Amino acid sequence: MVAGHPMIEVRGLHRYFGRTRAVNDISFAVSRGQVFGFIGPNGAGKTTSMRILATLDLPTHGDAFVDGFSVIDDPDRVRRRLGFMPDYFGTYANINVREYLDFFARAYGLRGGERQRALRYVMSFTQLDTLAEKPINGLSKGMKQRLCLGRAMIHDPAVMVLDEPAAGLDPRARIQLREMIRQLAADGKAILISSHILTELAEMCDMVGIIELGRLLAVGSVDEIQRGQQAGHESQVQVRLLDAAGPLAAWLAPRPGVLHVYVEGDQLSYVHGGSRDDEAATLRAMIEAGFRVASFGHQTKTLEEVFMQVTKGHVQ
Amino acid sequence: MSWDRVDALLDKLSQWLNPILVKETRQALKSRQFALTFTLVLACAWIWSLFGIAMIGPGVRYAAEGLRMFNGYYVILSFAVLVIVPFGAFRSLASEREDGTYELLSVTTLRPRQIVSGKLGSAVLQMLVYFSAIAPCLGFTYMLRGVAFPVILYVMMVLLLVSLGLSMIGMLVATATREKHWQSVLSVVLILGLGYVFLMGCVLVIGPLGSGAAIPMDDTDFWIVNLGLLTGYLGYFALFYFATAAQLTFASDNRSRVLRIVMLAQQATLIGWMGWGFFQEGHIGYVAVLLTVSGLHWYVMGAFLSGESGELSRRVKRQLPQSFLGRALLTWFNPGPATGYLFAVVNLLSVYGIALLALLVGELAFSKRASSWGFGANYNQTLAVYGLLVVSYMVVYLGVGRILIGLLRKISALSMPVGVLLHLLLVLAGTGVPMTIHYMRPGIRNDYSLIEMSNPFWTLEEAGNRSTGLSPEIVVVACVVPLVAAAVLLANLPAVVAAVRQVRIAKPRRVAEEDAFVESRRASPPVPSSPFD
Repeated sequence: MVAGHPMIEVRGLHRYFGRTRAVNDISFAVSRGQVFGFIGPNGAGKTTSMRILATLDLPTHGDAFVDGFSVIDDPDRVRRRLGFMPDYFGTYANINVREYLDFFARAYGLRGGERQRALRYVMSFTQLDTLAEKPINGLSKGMKQRLCLGRAMIHDPAVMVLDEPAAGLDPRARIQLREMIRQLAADGKAILISSHILTELAEMCDMVGIIELGRLLAVGSVDEIQRGQQAGHESQVQVRLLDAAGPLAAWLAPRPGVLHVYVEGDQLSYVHGGSRDDEAATLRAMIEAGFRVASFGHQTKTLEEVFMQVTKGHVQ
Repeated sequence: MSWDRVDALLDKLSQWLNPILVKETRQALKSRQFALTFTLVLACAWIWSLFGIAMIGPGVRYAAEGLRMFNGYYVILSFAVLVIVPFGAFRSLASEREDGTYELLSVTTLRPRQIVSGKLGSAVLQMLVYFSAIAPCLGFTYMLRGVAFPVILYVMMVLLLVSLGLSMIGMLVATATREKHWQSVLSVVLILGLGYVFLMGCVLVIGPLGSGAAIPMDDTDFWIVNLGLLTGYLGYFALFYFATAAQLTFASDNRSRVLRIVMLAQQATLIGWMGWGFFQEGHIGYVAVLLTVSGLHWYVMGAFLSGESGELSRRVKRQLPQSFLGRALLTWFNPGPATGYLFAVVNLLSVYGIALLALLVGELAFSKRASSWGFGANYNQTLAVYGLLVVSYMVVYLGVGRILIGLLRKISALSMPVGVLLHLLLVLAGTGVPMTIHYMRPGIRNDYSLIEMSNPFWTLEEAGNRSTGLSPEIVVVACVVPLVAAAVLLANLPAVVAAVRQVRIAKPRRVAEEDAFVESRRASPPVPSSPFD
């Protein structure tokens, strides 16, 4: 690993299947310790992009890099650094949990003590140690997902690409998976993850990329994307008072930078077109004017709201 | 020693084994299919033993009935190793691709050759299990007399090699396509083929042995022929092995080089054997065989090579030879249709040169020898023309096919199998159209005419079959076809020149950094980990 370049870098990636542009000029980067969420409707191009990153498919144009190595020219070097968890289990018959992980440890070239240590660590991390001798076919979906995560991390990769890892899991398993992913990021791994469960992603991702029709519509933190969706420097501010909100609405309306004011019971929100300093000045003036402010802050949108705002629901 | 220690020791030893072999052995030991097949083989062998002894009756004490028993065991064993094992090898790889587990394998650091070797190793292990199950029965046939131990050993060795070869073919077939419908078609074709080989094996082994024909174990020529067949087998085995691995290798790598080296080795082996026969027996027939087999070999190989992708990946470009000598000698091992075409052409031309030399040597050395056969001005001339036509037809058909593939690729993507199919269609058209015209003429005539000029098979048959001299038609063909070949070769030269003019590109900085780091770690002496180190 070399400092100075992102662990995942996608540059102008295109992938066409006949006339279908599954991936159409997407670019983004993920650094060490960052969790990047890939969001989009079915058929948006998430899995295709991830498969290209995992060296399972080739782009029509553009390139992608893992730790600075091209997935087209140096897939062998990329594979050493990358753990891929596809959206299917890919398990073998007549084999138990330990044998399955042991096979992949061997396949990644781990030997002797190193292999045993990796097996112990992964089984403990995924909490599969009690199921070591259990046949894979007898595992529940949640356990199989853990096993697949274990398989993807058995060689301690610097980059992990996880395609829908939480699909079909019950709430407890989802929470446990989320914790594991956060732990992996804390260990310094760069993680690219896709999911339909946006609340999950919002809680674990540092950055998200919203993709539709193969195009990356927005990239950044949820907050950045939200701000990007509002014109210029506009931001929505929410104020809660201990008294009725009507007098404050009347006080705010003529102030410079305040564009719209909405009142709902003791709550008031307004669209502010000025800078953060202007907002702070407005708050100070509000208090000096004698309004009893209980809370003051930006109204944040959920990732679901941002997603619905950014995407148009088109499919190809 | 406790079982845990044994287990730990075995685990330690197994780390030097191929991971696929370890995994598949673990799976096979728990698989119902393997247990069922193994039990069936054992049960059939036991039933045959009881049935056979009952049939022989009291004669078992004095009659030499071992051969009859051997035939039964052979049928049971050969079904397992010629049908079940190769089909299992096919399914093993095909199901990995169908179930998506192959993708999980391919993102590991396992090399494609390790995957192929592992699957093959697993097939060999199964074969050995079946052989060991039948081994006591084979010992029993030897004790019954009527079949010699060397014969049993020879038949088993051949069976093992054929089974291994068929398993290799099964795996190559499994990599031919990812489409499920084609996989289904191929599995039916494969199982029919394996069934045919099994039946042919029974006919070839049981028939001659049953009729009392002895295997000439004391005959040197018998072993020389066997050695010749073995080298041919090894050549094709290596070709299929590397072709299977190439199918599994990522697209940007040089997947063609090793295959071209194997093709070259096969050609060298053929030249070696034909040369040995030629000098031993002074028989001109070896030259004719060399020309015919080489022509066929390079046409088939050339059809595949000229169907390769024309784009050189950046990865391949990093490894291009730079010096004049390197470019002159090694460019032909780079992937691409143009280099593939010239590689095939140059090799066949070399064979033709060697054949001409052999004819000259034969004329000088053997024509006065009493045991020599065929040398003389007429037949030498006939063979020289025959060789010229072999080379020319190959140059023409492969060259035209390569140009057509190049043109079609400008319109849409064309895979290698489609390219091979195009070559086949071209030869079929060149053969079928003149033959149709020929036989549509009033009065069916079987004599060769100039209409058949584009038909390589009839023309070569006509050219090579006249020891008395060349017919006037062949003289005309021998003038026209080489000229056409020269024109086709010239038309292909721009693409060849473009391939030669490719230059090496520098490694990306990140790759160079890592290579330098790995090199420095290799160069640095090991750090002592204790005062006793």
